[in-house]
Amino acid sequence: MAEDLNWAIGGEAGDGIDSTGKIFAQALSRAGRHVFTSKDFASRIRGGYTAYKIRTSVDRVQSVVDRLDILVALTQRTIDENLDELHEGSAVIYDGERSWEADIPDEMTAVDVPLKSLAEEAGGAIMRNIVALGAACKITGFDVEYLDEALEKRFGGKGSKIVENNKEAARLGQEYVEENYDLEHLGYNVDVTDNDYVLLNGNEAIGMGAIAAGCRFYAGYPITPATSIMEYLTGRIEDYGGHVVQAEDELSAINMALGAARSGARSMTATSGAGIDLMTETFGLVATSETPLVITDVQRSGPSTGMPTKQEQGDLNMALYGGHGEVPRFVLTPTSIDECFWKTIEAFNLAEKYQTPVFLVSDLAMSVTEQTFEPETFDMDAVEIDRGKLVDEDEVDEWLDAQGHFRAHAVTEDGVSPRAIPGTTDAAHMSTGLEHDELGRRTEEEDERVQQVDKRYRKVETAQNEENWDYREFGDEDAENLIISWGSNEGALVEALGYLEDDGIDVRVISVPYIFPRPDLSDDIEAAEEVIVVECNATGQFADLIEHDVLTRVKRINKYTGVRFKADELAEQITEQLSEEVPA
Amino acid sequence: MSSDVRFTDFKSDKQPTWCPGCGDFGTMNGMMKALAETGNDPDNTFVVAGIGCSGKIGTYMHSYALHGVHGRALPVGTGVKMARPDIEVMVAGGDGDGYSIGAGHFVHAVRRNVDMSYVVMDNRIYGLTKGQASPTSRSDFETSTTPEGPKQPPVNPLALALASGASFIAQSFASDALRHQEIVQEAIEHDGFGFVNVFSPCVTFNDVDTYDYFRENLVDLQEEDHDPNDYEAAKEVITSSDKEYQGVMYKDENSVPYHEQHGVTEDMSEIPDGAPEDAMDLVREFY
Repeated sequence: MAEDLNWAIGGEAGDGIDSTGKIFAQALSRAGRHVFTSKDFASRIRGGYTAYKIRTSVDRVQSVVDRLDILVALTQRTIDENLDELHEGSAVIYDGERSWEADIPDEMTAVDVPLKSLAEEAGGAIMRNIVALGAACKITGFDVEYLDEALEKRFGGKGSKIVENNKEAARLGQEYVEENYDLEHLGYNVDVTDNDYVLLNGNEAIGMGAIAAGCRFYAGYPITPATSIMEYLTGRIEDYGGHVVQAEDELSAINMALGAARSGARSMTATSGAGIDLMTETFGLVATSETPLVITDVQRSGPSTGMPTKQEQGDLNMALYGGHGEVPRFVLTPTSIDECFWKTIEAFNLAEKYQTPVFLVSDLAMSVTEQTFEPETFDMDAVEIDRGKLVDEDEVDEWLDAQGHFRAHAVTEDGVSPRAIPGTTDAAHMSTGLEHDELGRRTEEEDERVQQVDKRYRKVETAQNEENWDYREFGDEDAENLIISWGSNEGALVEALGYLEDDGIDVRVISVPYIFPRPDLSDDIEAAEEVIVVECNATGQFADLIEHDVLTRVKRINKYTGVRFKADELAEQITEQLSEEVPA
Repeated sequence: MSSDVRFTDFKSDKQPTWCPGCGDFGTMNGMMKALAETGNDPDNTFVVAGIGCSGKIGTYMHSYALHGVHGRALPVGTGVKMARPDIEVMVAGGDGDGYSIGAGHFVHAVRRNVDMSYVVMDNRIYGLTKGQASPTSRSDFETSTTPEGPKQPPVNPLALALASGASFIAQSFASDALRHQEIVQEAIEHDGFGFVNVFSPCVTFNDVDTYDYFRENLVDLQEEDHDPNDYEAAKEVITSSDKEYQGVMYKDENSVPYHEQHGVTEDMSEIPDGAPEDAMDLVREFY
């Protein structure tokens, strides 16, 4: 992986770490290089350590690794936090003029650049990070013109003066390194290609997928890490006739989305952690009233308020079992940023086809990570919309009872009833969270209760047969070692395959984007010698499900430090697990 | 909207299970008549109801309707109206539903000024759970959960609405059928959030706030020369503690409903067969 370059900038929250990282990521993407970013941030607005890391290569990159080549350190803590990942060939850019003396290990190249002074020379101290980017370009031999382009994109709206000043800042950083250091020996090779990539994160992909899928109404309440979905949709969904409401709380948000959905709009709400708990009250109503609704949970570290800015996949049981009583639901778990887009579209189709809530379960790692893709990955022509049994005025007659009442909850063979939205003549009806008859009216009649419960569950059966609850597969399909994972671990696993292969270990990876219904893995598990389930939680919620499905013990790799899996770390753990006995 | 709609078209064939004499009968009749009178029909009307005796209204009326969870009827109504500005939205609830568990939503629905009418059946008691204090119960009102009275002042929903920036505040009495209907009609016709608190006596559990009490004490603002466009006068009437009023207390003639403020005009149920035509622009943005 010599082609890789791992760059990071770290400092205090409020230092502009995030935007600097994004600018560099965009510059690299524009240069036709693949990019994978990760963020390390604390739950505070100013102060506290924060970092933005970029891994870039001419080949596809989809994981972080334990290696840092160029570090822009705005504080000593940045160096300390990343010491493990720095190596002999690393360069650390810092500002020796500032009031801290950088403690950089001797074997690394210390690049002292007067970031602040040069930024002031270019027009303002605020641009010191851009000076550092210029310096980084010089060290790595990356053409500063791509940085100029990214600066134009970033600051174009703020006027040409700002753009020129930033370009000047980058140039000064570059020149300073050129004049004061001889860094050719670092030997980084940041090749450019003529590829045109798009760079986006998982939440942006969910938002984009929602608009593509015809979502027109979104209600939500700000919560990390789900908020950026709302931020994406606000200001864009209006172009398509939609609207975003920032509700007073999550209870309101899901009820607003429910109201919009019942009146025929494709609707979504998204939240995380404690927000999902609040929404659970209404979850049963959505299911019982058979309302098509997409509920996105961008998981973060719990329980309670846990670690709000840290990664975890701990909400799987909630998505599967959350809510009182028994209600059918679908649970989709996109496994990569591009899948965030496609699974969102699928979620809307499933919701309307089966008139049921769909949980779209993502996680923090995916939501804040930006990755490059060929634009065709998000091929809008391939988007298909299926609105299910939405009846128009001509079809209403088929669904009226002898008294002329619309049978909104008609007991059907496939479990799916006709759906009429307000304005449809002669189809006015009520729906309720109370158990109801075919007309939607309250009932406690034994037969009707059983019919409606069965009917609702029959939808799942129908969907199980009609839809493709498949998995994604990587590695050697005949390998006796089987790794199973869900959610965002896929990228790290795929890259871990390379490390394992180098060590002569063959592995088959199954990455599951559906938790309920989910693919039947019994044959795959039976055929394998060793089975390991990988997930970012402490108890192995998915591993429990697998064991329940196949009645076989599996090995587990669980990470719950708040940090996502890294490819090299995962390879090591897999190797270790493979040499151990299966737990009794 | 057909012109030959009768109010009975809004009636379902389910027999109400309310206690004989319940104020909710009169409240509902007024709502149905007001809907018909304002040119609506069941196919273009959406009624959202909360939980409690008042929440049963969706079952006894005929229209598009949702009977939701306790206290959350207003957000549902908001969602319906935003997605479908073409649909008439009426939300019905009770004092517990609206001013206790749903108080937060009330404040925000009011300040958003969503174009819907909100009819609250206020009987100053929890009826369906058999007689506990409600947020509008008097401070000395003895109930099973407050044997010596709640010992806290009741919520003044009208003042809460006024403080939240309401554009329409009214109060009616279920038994004064004509006035109640007129007031609800005005709430429906108002461009924005039309709030009506209805005195709807509970004949089973509340022996204080009875029909007789309201008949004796209710003052009609129509007879008081009250100008609902006068904010200060409204404040006076709403905060007066020695009288019970019915009528339109406050009305902002310049009210602009939420969906109009936000430029929402389209029926959001209409979407293309695939991705929107210019959807690739969404991707290009990430170059």
